[in-house]
Amino acid sequence: MASAGGAAPFWRAAGMTYITYSNICANLVRNCLKEPFKAEAISRERVHFSLSKWVDGKPEKPTIRSDPTEH
Amino acid sequence: MAMAALRREGRRFATPLLSSPIRSSLISHSQEQAPNGVRSISTQVVRNRMKSVKNIQKITKAMKMVAASKLRAIQTRAENSRGLWQPFTALLGDSPSVNVKKSVIVTVSSDKGLCGGINSTSVKISRILHKLSSGPEKETKYVILGEKAKAQLIRDSKDDISLSITELQKNPLNYSQVSVLADDILKNVEFDALRIVFNKFHSVVQFMPTVSTVLSPEIVEREAEAGGKLGELDSYEIEGAETKGEVLQNLAEFQFSCILFNGVLENACSEQGARMSAMDSSSRNAGDMLDRLTLTYNRTRQASITTELIEIISGASALEG
Repeated sequence: MASAGGAAPFWRAAGMTYITYSNICANLVRNCLKEPFKAEAISRERVHFSLSKWVDGKPEKPTIRSDPTEH
Repeated sequence: MAMAALRREGRRFATPLLSSPIRSSLISHSQEQAPNGVRSISTQVVRNRMKSVKNIQKITKAMKMVAASKLRAIQTRAENSRGLWQPFTALLGDSPSVNVKKSVIVTVSSDKGLCGGINSTSVKISRILHKLSSGPEKETKYVILGEKAKAQLIRDSKDDISLSITELQKNPLNYSQVSVLADDILKNVEFDALRIVFNKFHSVVQFMPTVSTVLSPEIVEREAEAGGKLGELDSYEIEGAETKGEVLQNLAEFQFSCILFNGVLENACSEQGARMSAMDSSSRNAGDMLDRLTLTYNRTRQASITTELIEIISGASALEG
């Protein structure tokens, strides 16, 4: 825990939030699993949604996030 | 048997009276043809309606089954995810009445309809919150999850929408997805307090519209100085080289993603439950309707048979006499 605490300012300086940071850590842990469990764990955590920003009461073109490795 | 033959006979006389294309399109698939209002009353319309009601009932029954099986899968996940926000509420408390300048209302709804009133409930609560938290020098924005709340809020408050997110439930809901989403929300809106509105799942027929409040680290610090529940934060020892502000920021971010995860799951669970009960009652309604239609149909049929019989008998007696 202490070593992770020491690294905190660096990931914050890189523009990451705690959520991104913990997601990257979680992905690392998931990749440490042995094979049948690893594929299962990775396929379970799939990201897909479409997000659109609104400017002046109108939606902009939605961006679709659907790659699990993209953070 | 003889009667049926006679009736068919009568029909043959009646045929030229009807324009053939309409007639063939109307009754091409039925065996027991009835000409439209010539000698007997047509049962065609009633029969068609019975058929369509029966089909609708089949569909609603199937949808109920689907919703029930989805509900079972998602209910355990929703109940397990409650363990994620409970420690946060124990630590930071939930302060829905906090007075801040920039509030963001995160309305959780579903992408699909036919699930009772859960979407209107969360939209209603969001509107009330918006009214409560807006005022001079205050800014309140909406972040909308799901297609249905967007469709409702776009009508009267489209200027206050800052983000809308859809297609969340394409894959089974999972934490990575919701946390990436939470991350995107945090990056795109400025907030002092996030208010997440969702339907909390109690039972298949009971959902509580719920508001969870996530405060920004500055507000947490301000509230902590004011005392109360948050005043106890100082009694915690902080490990490592971090300052209290950093820890609070991390906590606020993580709290938001956890609460959002729980909210999304609870809402999905409520959605399936509401859909199940809605589909159950609509199957029942379809059954009632079918009963009524069957009664009408049988009555009309009997009436026409009686009429025909009377005609035949009186015709025969006229010949005899």
